Amino acid sequence: MTLRVLNPTQSAHGEVLRMAPPLASLNGAVVGMIDNAKIGTKQLFDFIEEILRKEHGVRECIRRRKPDATRPVPKPMLMEMSGADAVLAATGD
Amino acid sequence: MSSTPFASEVFEVLDAAEANELYQRNGWTDGLPIVPPTEDAVARFLAAAKLDAANVIGVEPVRRRSITAEKVAIAAVMAGCLPEYLPVVVAIMKAMCQPEYALHGSTASTGGSAPFIVVNGPVRLALGMNATHNVLANGSRANATIGRSVRLILLNVLGGIPGQLDRSTLGHPGKFTFCVAEDEEDSPWLPLSVERGVAAGASAVTAMQVESPHQIMNEWTHDPKEILDTYAAAMRSNLLTYSIWEGNYAFVIPRQHREIFAAAGWSKQNIRDYVFEVAHVKRSDWRTVGKAAIAGRKDEDKIYRALRSPDDLLVIAAGGPAGGFGAILPPWYGKKSLAVTMPLTT
Repeated sequence: MTLRVLNPTQSAHGEVLRMAPPLASLNGAVVGMIDNAKIGTKQLFDFIEEILRKEHGVRECIRRRKPDATRPVPKPMLMEMSGADAVLAATGD
Repeated sequence: MSSTPFASEVFEVLDAAEANELYQRNGWTDGLPIVPPTEDAVARFLAAAKLDAANVIGVEPVRRRSITAEKVAIAAVMAGCLPEYLPVVVAIMKAMCQPEYALHGSTASTGGSAPFIVVNGPVRLALGMNATHNVLANGSRANATIGRSVRLILLNVLGGIPGQLDRSTLGHPGKFTFCVAEDEEDSPWLPLSVERGVAAGASAVTAMQVESPHQIMNEWTHDPKEILDTYAAAMRSNLLTYSIWEGNYAFVIPRQHREIFAAAGWSKQNIRDYVFEVAHVKRSDWRTVGKAAIAGRKDEDKIYRALRSPDDLLVIAAGGPAGGFGAILPPWYGKKSLAVTMPLTT
């Protein structure tokens, strides 16, 4: 006699998320940058923005700062990011 | 796969040993052996808690995880619980899914904290929970397996796998299991749950995301203030060496110290009021612990308190009867995660 045991894991609810297709070029692109309030993010994003603009021709960077690293991006901030061609979602440590 | 009343995929295995190897191989355990979560066992647990498998206990919004009663029961079986423990595990998960608990952040953080669970009310006695000797460690099946259930849920339902979602640099041993009962029968004080708004005589859990406990010792005074000065020194140490951010701290106070407070007529509120006043550091103190590089970034005369108000301190009567020991439990990350108390509903 065998045992019938259950899978303990759970996948995410809702639609399956996939990586967005990569942009062919950053030239003229709008890039969203979400500072997730981790220490040092501002300096890091200043540096990245400079590279994106000078070396890759990025037209605009939309920069916003989350109130808290430990919680989801507030919906209004997410809506502001919807106009971007690509988004840097966070930094980790 | 075959038909099942459950949403979970079913595996057929020869015996408990093979089930254990399957779960170990798939990374579905904390490394310790598991009890096979058979369909029958999970059904028994759900019946004991009067829950349907599909009941949603809570939602973790960042990773979009709906924590169903089915998955909670599976974890409780795996952890070695008895069916009657399930309502406690369910209440814990409800508490941890409240927004102020910040379940995702506290699970993912490099800070490596663990859920600390305090159980109050009649359920402690019904389940034979330990509130005395060795209270922060092994002492009863219920304490051990209820706490372990929480870890297995974080692991399997939230995906809190070390190196993946769980980015802890160190973690601490409480991440295996960290659940105590309050010693209400031997305490002169109001139970923690009652202080936090639950009706007297009702069972409840309190969950708080904590770093490793810091044990203190003072058996050379009968002055309650001096006793608390020792606890507060450990809090100051935490402010300086770990995190300066204010938030919930917990004290676990065994009987020998409780007797000193009782003799002096001190309630938990008296303790909180005193500790609020004395548990603070000055920013310049960082220079004494190797953090001169950041001490000067702001006003070095600024005072940093451990608690936002006296109510931030959770005082728990627990521990063995002899020994002038106690413990402070520091918060994971200041007020980013707050303690949550939840009554049992079944």
